[in-house]
Amino acid sequence: MAYAYLFKYIIIGDTGVGKSCLLLQFTDKRFQPVHDLTIGVEFGARMITIDGKQIKLQIWDTAGQESFRSITRSYYRGAAGALLVYDITRRDTFNHLTTWLEDARQHSNSNMVIMLIGNKSDLESRREVKKEEGEAFAREHGLIFMETSAKTASNVEEAFINTAKEIYEKIQEGVFDINNEANGIKIGPQHAATNSTLSGSQGGQQAGGGCC
Amino acid sequence: MAKIENGRLSADTRSIRTISSSSHMDDESSIGSDSEINGFTSDRHTDKYGFIGGAQQYSEESAQDLPPEVLRQREVKWLDMLSNWDKWMAKRHNKVRLRCQKGIPPSLRGRAWLYLSGGKVKKEQNRGKFEELDSQAGDPKELDVIEKDLHRQFPFHEMFVSRGGHGQQDLFRVLKAYTLYRPDEGYCQAQAPIAAVLLMHMPAEDAFWGLVQICEKYLPGYYSAGLEAIQLDGEILYALMRRVSPLAYRHLEKHKIEPILYMTEWFMCAFSRTLPWASVLRVWDMFLCDGVKIIFRVGMVLLKCMLGTREKLKACQGQYETMELLRTIEPRYMQEGFLVREVLEVPVSARDIEREHHVQLKRWRKNRGDLHCKSPPRMHGARAIMASEPPSRQDLRQNPTIIVESQLPPPPPTPQLKKEEKKSKEEKSKEKKGKKKGSMKKTTPAERSALFSDFPYEHIHSSSRPLFQRNFFSIQACIVQ
Repeated sequence: MAYAYLFKYIIIGDTGVGKSCLLLQFTDKRFQPVHDLTIGVEFGARMITIDGKQIKLQIWDTAGQESFRSITRSYYRGAAGALLVYDITRRDTFNHLTTWLEDARQHSNSNMVIMLIGNKSDLESRREVKKEEGEAFAREHGLIFMETSAKTASNVEEAFINTAKEIYEKIQEGVFDINNEANGIKIGPQHAATNSTLSGSQGGQQAGGGCC
Repeated sequence: MAKIENGRLSADTRSIRTISSSSHMDDESSIGSDSEINGFTSDRHTDKYGFIGGAQQYSEESAQDLPPEVLRQREVKWLDMLSNWDKWMAKRHNKVRLRCQKGIPPSLRGRAWLYLSGGKVKKEQNRGKFEELDSQAGDPKELDVIEKDLHRQFPFHEMFVSRGGHGQQDLFRVLKAYTLYRPDEGYCQAQAPIAAVLLMHMPAEDAFWGLVQICEKYLPGYYSAGLEAIQLDGEILYALMRRVSPLAYRHLEKHKIEPILYMTEWFMCAFSRTLPWASVLRVWDMFLCDGVKIIFRVGMVLLKCMLGTREKLKACQGQYETMELLRTIEPRYMQEGFLVREVLEVPVSARDIEREHHVQLKRWRKNRGDLHCKSPPRMHGARAIMASEPPSRQDLRQNPTIIVESQLPPPPPTPQLKKEEKKSKEEKSKEKKGKKKGSMKKTTPAERSALFSDFPYEHIHSSSRPLFQRNFFSIQACIVQ
């Protein structure tokens, strides 16, 4: 399917925070509690619409264990957006955010949009990290923030789409050099001719599901 | 004992689909079996490898079914080899290799793997070690990660399907024991599938020593911090591709597709999560005999098949497209017969790998400095391992240990068995005609009883018993003279 833009995303965060489940919920609209552990990298893709433009999100889902960090740098390359995920029921996954952020900043391009995600918001009774803490961390480090539940699908769409909106805005502001693929953005065949007609408003409703 | 906090673990991961209640499970009687079952639909069909609902892709279709006579002949040959292992390895190693290439009979696979890998010798030389490690507490940090992974290893294999069941408990014990055995290495998530594959074929203690051998001899450094060894092997694979498929090599080069992007899971899990199950087993048979070159060759065959023609490359212009292609390998290229044939033809030897290793290591040092983890040298296969740690005859003896625990009566000479006996005589005479060279030694009655008792009956899941019993009887038929 033709797209105006293609954005590359990467999902990072400690093991077991729900990275693969977020991806599956977003691409397939389902929650699969039982799945193989991610070793190396997994992929997913979906088309969304922002401001009337078709945008293809290409999402790389990574292994979370510490020892895999050294190879994750290969995945950062050429990512326009990153979802940095922690588990609201496990304080340690929140405490590790700083090192994840350092990694991300070090190995990616400086304009990469980072969305901080507190996942498993459906498990309110076992919450260990307050929403305010997530918000504060995001504010402090200039990230966008959301709490999601891959299980109930709460905020999952929004997380992926808001990140895309932010990237889209940056393109409009001329922050991203869209002709350099190393920025994680590719112009699709459909859009190449109308590149100059970007308007300031954002639509933001997603196209009807489906993996592409 | 496994400390799986079922309540806590299950709460956040309960299936939203209907879970069949434990009473429907075949292994309801198993110790530690839990009501929490990994989510799957109730109309489950288990394939002959134990995967529910064809979870390990295309396994049924791609498996080659051998006629029972052939299987029995092979079992006889393997039984002979296993009872004279040192001689076979010393004098007729090529024959052992050939038989590994043909595929180890399923009933003897576990034992053969343990002998090939040197796990058997290691176990004998470290008697009581596993028990000792098993009884220790372990580092809570490591255990926490291991526990989180237990239900994420072959979650649709009947052995690992139930939370806190046999399979998951044993997996926990093996992985925990390894972290205590090698605290410097700790637990790496990619070790879990390796341990799980071993556990499908042998009891926990054996699987532990098998894991030790794979981590230390076959794939040293793969699971160490920094994952340097796997990155280095990625570079070696890539460099060797230039020779095997220049077209694929140039494509990977053009799109800057680093090896680490596509080969991490392949190599770290020894293809156990990539190939249909019949092929996984055949690849492991060869891998444990000949070492890492088999893993390299499988990788090269897949790359060559998927990226080796201009036509194919036209359709995947880009990094992501290529990566997608490599994640959806066409079943025909992974089919057991095709794959094994192709693997045997790849012109890459252990020496080629060593040579390239040297080149890449030099490059690594130049660009990135010294390796942080100094791994012991890699052993290329069963013979090299045996030479490095020569076993005594005692180490290779088959021990009838498990019969004591299982309290399984020795197989009575039932009428059915007599029938089988006749049949086996006929087969034997047939086999004699076709035999080029005689076997090393005939099985003695003592060894025969060891055959029955050495088999990990206790360990085998009740749910996989039909398959097991089939094999079990076929062994009986073979050895009764």
